[in-house]
Amino acid sequence: MRPLPRYRTQSEIDEQTALGGAYVRSLMRSQLRAGLTAFAVLAVVVGTLPLVFEALHSAALVWAVLGFAAYPPLTLIAWWYVRRAERNERDFARLVEGRPAQ
Amino acid sequence: MTGAGYAVLVLLALLLLGTGFLLGRRTARPVRTSDVGTPVEHATFETLHTASLAAPPLRAGLTEESARRSARRLRSLLGTDALCLTDRDRVLVWDGAGEHHGRHVMDQVRDLLASGRDTAFRSDCDDLDCPLRWAVAVPLTVDNRVLGTLIAYAPRESAVLARAAGEVARWVCVQLELAELDRSRTQLIEAEIRALRAQISPHFIFNSLAAIASFVRTDPERARELLLEFADFTRYSFRSHGDFTTLADELHSIDQYLALVRARFGERLLVTLQVAPEVLPVALPFLCLQPLVENAVKHGLEGAVTSSRITISALDAGSEAEVVIEDDGTGMDPERLRHILRGEGGNSTGIGLLNVDERLRQVYGDDYGLVIETGIGAGMKITVRLPKYRAGVHGS
Amino acid sequence: MSRTYAVAAVAAVVLATVLVGGFGLRISRTTSDFYVASRTVRPRLNAAAISGEYLSAASFLGIAGLVLVHGPDMLWYPVGYTAGYLVLLVFVAAPLRRSGAYTLPDFAEGRLESRQVRRLVSVFVVAAGWLYLVPQLQGAGLTLKILTGAPGWLGDVLVASVVVIAVAAGGMRSITFVQVFQYWLKLTALLVPAIFLVLAWQGDGRPRVSFDEQLSVFRADHPLYATYGLIVATFLGTMGLPHVVVRFYTSPNGRDARRTTVAVLALIGVFYLLPPVYGALGRLYAPELIHGGDADAAVLLLPGRIVGGIGGDLLGALIAGGAFAAFLSTASGLTMAVAGVITQDVLPSRGVRHFRLATVLAMCVPLGGSLIVSRVPVADSVGMAFAVSASSFCPLLVLGIWWRRLTPPGAIAGLLLGGGSAFLSVAITVSGAVRPPGWPHTLLAWPAVWSVPVGFLAMILVSLATPGRIPPGTNAAMTRFHLPEALTSGRHR
Repeated sequence: MRPLPRYRTQSEIDEQTALGGAYVRSLMRSQLRAGLTAFAVLAVVVGTLPLVFEALHSAALVWAVLGFAAYPPLTLIAWWYVRRAERNERDFARLVEGRPAQ
Repeated sequence: MTGAGYAVLVLLALLLLGTGFLLGRRTARPVRTSDVGTPVEHATFETLHTASLAAPPLRAGLTEESARRSARRLRSLLGTDALCLTDRDRVLVWDGAGEHHGRHVMDQVRDLLASGRDTAFRSDCDDLDCPLRWAVAVPLTVDNRVLGTLIAYAPRESAVLARAAGEVARWVCVQLELAELDRSRTQLIEAEIRALRAQISPHFIFNSLAAIASFVRTDPERARELLLEFADFTRYSFRSHGDFTTLADELHSIDQYLALVRARFGERLLVTLQVAPEVLPVALPFLCLQPLVENAVKHGLEGAVTSSRITISALDAGSEAEVVIEDDGTGMDPERLRHILRGEGGNSTGIGLLNVDERLRQVYGDDYGLVIETGIGAGMKITVRLPKYRAGVHGS
Repeated sequence: MSRTYAVAAVAAVVLATVLVGGFGLRISRTTSDFYVASRTVRPRLNAAAISGEYLSAASFLGIAGLVLVHGPDMLWYPVGYTAGYLVLLVFVAAPLRRSGAYTLPDFAEGRLESRQVRRLVSVFVVAAGWLYLVPQLQGAGLTLKILTGAPGWLGDVLVASVVVIAVAAGGMRSITFVQVFQYWLKLTALLVPAIFLVLAWQGDGRPRVSFDEQLSVFRADHPLYATYGLIVATFLGTMGLPHVVVRFYTSPNGRDARRTTVAVLALIGVFYLLPPVYGALGRLYAPELIHGGDADAAVLLLPGRIVGGIGGDLLGALIAGGAFAAFLSTASGLTMAVAGVITQDVLPSRGVRHFRLATVLAMCVPLGGSLIVSRVPVADSVGMAFAVSASSFCPLLVLGIWWRRLTPPGAIAGLLLGGGSAFLSVAITVSGAVRPPGWPHTLLAWPAVWSVPVGFLAMILVSLATPGRIPPGTNAAMTRFHLPEALTSGRHR
């Protein structure tokens, strides 16, 4: 519950100066990259699956993939994304506060 | 020509005169019954509209930004070729032709800034095509202080422009006065918050420290805990950043406050808390519940021989949170309470209530003031409604 | 099937919901307990609450029915309902929480600083909420009809009244615990009977489930397009559902909002393993449903068919209770969200009385709709609500959070063109004006494939054409959305 000392970069961000804007934009870019990566994996797999099913014509395969196999990867991608996003935020906080990497 | 012929001629002439007279009257006096407005009325509307467009920026005071945003409107009000606004030190904006005149402006208005009297001057320059040959400068004053000047330029001397510039300047002054008023009102509220924070300190700090001191020998561990609570509580109350906080933080500080009060009064004070976790993230004005709890504690313990019970609940009500603070103490005469909330005097707790009420109304609108149910000897129940979201209210 | 057990189970669920709602508040009597009371809702608890609210009649009854009739291709529905949370997680969850918005109109106003956009978003929230409420009520009607033989409208009216009374009387005060309870109830109500059914099926000599073409009913004349339409709608539509958005407000901060979403993914993923089992067993034991009407009833009928006797009755009662939990939780969540928007943006002044009036309003229209409109399969009509949400709220949220150049006129254009066209398509499909077969019907019945790009494009192009209208507070809003709490709050939590 100790208050954080307010660092200079922090006030740049609070006052929305050009420099502060650059910091926030760089954070947004790294977060968007993480999000897009996760989304791209999802989109590629899901985008091709209906075509694969259409080509193979196997009810059992559809059953196995959509009924069971789809859920663990979804949760895994989500878990990876959360770790990545939180790491981005930690790195950013370090950058702003000027602390060395731990 | 026969007599009949003359008679016809005279009649015709009379008819012509009559028609001309009537027509003349019509044009000279606008017809009041016109539903869509006469040219004069239209001109009035246009002027009023232009003035209303120029007003909002000026309500921010006389700055480069507000001058820039209002200058074009002011110039079209005056219908001049160029208009210049200055503060006491420099040109804020030049609107219209002949911007090279701006270099000399501050020299030309130096006397005016000192005397506060309208002046007119020739403004010749080397550029032969320059249409600006004459200018009238009028001071912009608030409370008898000259804040700046308004200067209107014209190709030749013009009494109409001089008069118009004077009127427009007076109108600008009114807007600036309103701006000052706005600012002093916010300053007042800020000062009140500061006063409120300061008000917590004297006897509360003394009593708390005395209570903690009494435990130092008998129960050092408890004294240490209380001291930490005390430090945390004061740190929250005196924090300098942000006007808003979250319900979770505010309730946490209230918890610390109550811990300190209980250290002093022990079993005489019973507290029941009922908190729906859904409403903890709600943002609200900083320190707007703590004074209510303090009020409940005072009322509860005032004259109560045995114990007193305080109930604090924060419940989820759709798009709002509902906070209720209730005590079973002495209560208050509703008439007296009404006086206090109208701002007509009262003791320090009364001022606390009034201040909370005003801040809630200022942030959320008049629908969100305090609702207080009380009577002499009947305890007091204060209900606060807090919208879960309001633009501009972000807890930090 | 014994009516007594089923009615008792339904009554028990309703009663338990009201009790947990009314008395589930954590009450502490002394200040030392205060910490327990004021603990913010932890990600796992909140995730169970979100899942409880989210798993609706479409999930509980609809999926099994669709799988039974149309075969395993219909499993895209549960996958889509789940994956929608992944998309929500990676683009929306944390920034939405940090925006401080309670509803989507709040978000629109806070980001774009425009009352106009706020009002338009409110209209869409109410529309999407109503679209989603209709199948909940119809599902309830169907359930009650099958269980007790009561006329179809009775269930609609019953659920509508219970929800209105509970919400308007403030009986849903500790909504989080109600919804958590509902999630576990729904999971149990499907899991326990499923175990018995599978055991009975094994005892029966494990007949093979066949998904031959000749048995499947053709669902669309362009199945591949329909599949993609479904995928786009469910993947992108989840983030805009009114009752999902309000629950994120309960998370104490953006980081917890993210963690909550992952837990939601896991919880609803577990749940969705079950409905397909019912669909497959339904093919074997209730084949007559394939061609005759109420396939949504498969889940309810199976215990009686396969297990039979008093055991079957008890399992059937358990399922009936779970189904009612599904209608109640989703319907009450939606009603709260829609009523909140109506009180804030439609009714003139505010107050508790207006919230009650709004609750009645929020329920009246879908109730009328559910009684008048012919029964579309539950999962299908829920899919339509997703399509509208995906074409209006998804562009607004994604662009609002990640793109600085979004302007109010752009948002309005995108909402009207994307969301409006999706809504029109859905309305035309439901009214039956355009009938299958043929491309017109296919395009209108699964609009998301084209309406989502239309929504995005309109928003982007109009925003680019009106650069002067970028809200002045854009940078401040972006900073608030994306800055980690450790830096904004000035202290550790």
